[in-house]
Amino acid sequence: MSVLDIAKGMGVTLGHLFKRPYTVSYPEQRVDIEPRFRGRHHLLRHPDTGLEKCIGCSLCAAACPAYAIYVEAAENDPDDPVSAGERYAKIYEINMLRCIFCGFCEEACPTGAVVLGHEFELADFRYQDFVYGKEDMLVGTTGSKWQRREAAAKGKEVRIGVEPAPRPELEGVDY
Amino acid sequence: MKVVVNDIELDLAPGTSAIDAVFAAGDDVPYFCSQEYMSPIGACRMCLARVGSPRKDRDGNWILDEETGEPKIFWFPNLMATCTTQVTEGMVIDTRSEAVKNAQNSMVEFTLINHPLDCPVCDKGGACELQDRAYEYGDGLSRFEFDKRRSEKHHELSELITLDRERCIHCKRCVRFFEEVPGDEVLDFIERGSHTYIGTVDAGLPSNFSGNITDICPVGALLDASSRFRGRNWEYDHTRTTSMDDATGSAVIVDARTGRIERVKAALNPDVNKTWIDDGTRFGHEYVDSPDRLTRPMVRRNGELQPVTWPEAAAYVAERLKGLSGKDVGIVLRADSTLEEGVAALALAEKLGTGQVDHAPRPAGSLLPSRPATLTDLATADAIFVVGDVTEEAGILDLRIKDALKGVTPPELLPHGVPIADLRLKERMPRRAEILTVAAPYRVDLMRHAGASHLYPAGGEAELFRALTALAGGGQLTDEQRAALGADEAAARQLVDRLRSASDGVLVVGGFALARREAAEAARAFARAVGVKELLVGPMANSHGLELLGVLPSHERYAFPGMLQEAKALIVSHLDPAKDPDVAASLKERELLVVHDMFLTETARLADVVLPARSVYEKDGTVVNLEGRFLPVRAAPVEAGQAEDFTGVVRYLGEALGERLEGRSVRSARRVLKRRLELDLAELPDNGVIPRLKARPAPKVTTREAPAAGGNVLIAPSMARVEYLHRNPHLNAAVGGPKLSVNPADAEGLGVMDGAEVRLRVGGVWRDAVVRVTEAVPAGLMTLPALPEQGVGLVQADLGSLVVDQVRLEVAS
Repeated sequence: MSVLDIAKGMGVTLGHLFKRPYTVSYPEQRVDIEPRFRGRHHLLRHPDTGLEKCIGCSLCAAACPAYAIYVEAAENDPDDPVSAGERYAKIYEINMLRCIFCGFCEEACPTGAVVLGHEFELADFRYQDFVYGKEDMLVGTTGSKWQRREAAAKGKEVRIGVEPAPRPELEGVDY
Repeated sequence: MKVVVNDIELDLAPGTSAIDAVFAAGDDVPYFCSQEYMSPIGACRMCLARVGSPRKDRDGNWILDEETGEPKIFWFPNLMATCTTQVTEGMVIDTRSEAVKNAQNSMVEFTLINHPLDCPVCDKGGACELQDRAYEYGDGLSRFEFDKRRSEKHHELSELITLDRERCIHCKRCVRFFEEVPGDEVLDFIERGSHTYIGTVDAGLPSNFSGNITDICPVGALLDASSRFRGRNWEYDHTRTTSMDDATGSAVIVDARTGRIERVKAALNPDVNKTWIDDGTRFGHEYVDSPDRLTRPMVRRNGELQPVTWPEAAAYVAERLKGLSGKDVGIVLRADSTLEEGVAALALAEKLGTGQVDHAPRPAGSLLPSRPATLTDLATADAIFVVGDVTEEAGILDLRIKDALKGVTPPELLPHGVPIADLRLKERMPRRAEILTVAAPYRVDLMRHAGASHLYPAGGEAELFRALTALAGGGQLTDEQRAALGADEAAARQLVDRLRSASDGVLVVGGFALARREAAEAARAFARAVGVKELLVGPMANSHGLELLGVLPSHERYAFPGMLQEAKALIVSHLDPAKDPDVAASLKERELLVVHDMFLTETARLADVVLPARSVYEKDGTVVNLEGRFLPVRAAPVEAGQAEDFTGVVRYLGEALGERLEGRSVRSARRVLKRRLELDLAELPDNGVIPRLKARPAPKVTTREAPAAGGNVLIAPSMARVEYLHRNPHLNAAVGGPKLSVNPADAEGLGVMDGAEVRLRVGGVWRDAVVRVTEAVPAGLMTLPALPEQGVGLVQADLGSLVVDQVRLEVAS
């Protein structure tokens, strides 16, 4: 190895020294996330009627390789429906500890009701807090359970570590 | 008969259908409209195949193929529906050619034209015949570009059945079921072509077997309303077990999810229930998931029942028993306890040294017939005499009797099981009503199908049988005997002659006759006199088994309910004798009352120790049905807290008493039964066996009978179990509560109207009921459904106690 080679190598180091750093000073700064990143699930509503898209069919639970989803369905009250059609999910739970974020639920969903979003800060303290119910996932809810708890305790807005990028699929599915 | 299916040569019995030939060859054709026990009609056109057969010339010789020299196959010009085609000698069936595949694919496409494809929200999804066949035989494409037929999605046919008219594919199974199986024509097709829909003119589905249409519907059009949207088919834990709802021991599948029973479906047992169950069996399970179930043992301390652990409760009982002589302890089980629980009770009784052990309800007459008939005997009988209301007592008996009326013997099993299309069955078959005679104190449902009916005076079963026996003996009848017949003498003579000349006659004796010993004995004497087999219908699922096992008191004084007065300490399982205020008062004087039950009943409220019990769906064990068939009962995965069956009670009590008793677990009890019956119950097949028991115990009856007394209320059997009716909301809504049936004339006298909610004291017990004014009940008699503590038979009601809608009425006596 010659001195020249060392100089070449150090040259690369020197070159990077003056480049813009890749490091993001998370959490002060928000993270850029690739568009197809699979984070926390969102349960969507029909944008026009506001009805839930989920019909409680349990196909996501059937597709789930980690057995992380539990669905219990019930019949809609025709005068005050929760979802379009006869059936809605009375209970929709995902155990985020079990979930491996594979996105099979998203693929299995016949109505496009469940999609994996960009939120990833799911750490929490107690086991039971990792079981996310409908109220934790329905579109419009921002942040993990812990983040929302913290925000409520401090009386601040929930601040998530990712830029809330516009996601057309969260608004509605183009058929 | 030689048949060639896709180059496989088979030898089949004449009369076999082509679809069964295909299945017997191990091949498959899709079908929607055929059902094992109903007539094949070729409605769905799914089972098309290319069929051909050789022909004979005028001289009776096979027409030969000139090239091969073999008999020439003449193909039918079009594809044939194999379910309605009978095999002939040398028939060739082809299900694999391109033409057949095209036809199957086209039929799938055609069937799906108006099918909504809302599989994700459909309760049938995952167990749907249309879904499976469309996947297997369709090519997944549709050329139909137009709007689908729109129709009602949620039509409530009854409280129990929901109809989705969009999903219906017009296979006609449900329509045929009602006409062919129970004979209640309540459904039919209305309109024509693509407008055709299933409908009924009646309010609801007036049939006791309506739930079966949800099992046989090949799509999700007819669904069980009680399990609507409760779970998907792949999420259920399916447990194949035996129903403990009545004495027939129907095969059922219990579907549970997350510790709850969501639905009960019929399973196939060709010798017992075929694929049918009654609505009481199907819908009478919701009480199991009732939120007020007991989940922990409780002991009374300072006047309050306080939760304790099982060993603590057992230690408390053992401590209290110390001061008592063992023979002062009474043990009573309900008659739907398993054989294993019976063994446990006997082991505990032996340990304590008491003869006060019994099961209830137990009829006064023995349930072990001397010439037992099986259900197959009943279905193939050429003369049947039914005494009682068997439709309500054991619904499957009703269906098997109707099988006999058709005169079609049960089909021979083929390699693939029960034949899919039995060509002997036809729509609107003639029924041999004349072979059936029904006798009951009021008009029972089965009388609609009977050639002759006897309406004898209530409580007059013994007289009826004696009069018939006298006729059989060729004697002349006295006027009294003639009155006891409940029909004219000529009809009775005809009945006796028919039974005597029948080669396979069956006498079905229901609870009314078994309730009194003299009537039961008279029935037996009559059966002997005319030479027919007997089928004795026990009041509950394991009545036969517990009698066979000998869970009986050593002396008639100790029989339940005499035991309630005799014993100083009582262990009561699943029974609620304190419904009678007088009994409740006497129970308070017992030194120790241990109640093993699922709910905090009246008796449990008085108890010193309350032990949580498992329901019939949560036990492992064995049950003996009315033909003496040993059937396995398996536990469904149901969340029941710390509940235990009676073997568990005996295990903990035995430990507290310092001994490992023989019935301490199901396995231990089975070891005892293996020794006693020489039958390994752990190896029992799903469909059960009727073993030839070496030592058949002589009928031992130890019941102290009250002297025959008249009464004004007949406690009658009921398909829906009344004790749990208010905890079974769907079934309760369908049957309209416990019914007090009153003749219009009496209703006027009592000042009650149809549908009125009443409360009255019947035989000591306060009963709530809904009045049904009906001509079916004769004047001067009322009927009320039986409770486990109040078995069938005539009792006296205190009409002065009648309360209508909480307003006490002055009742003119």
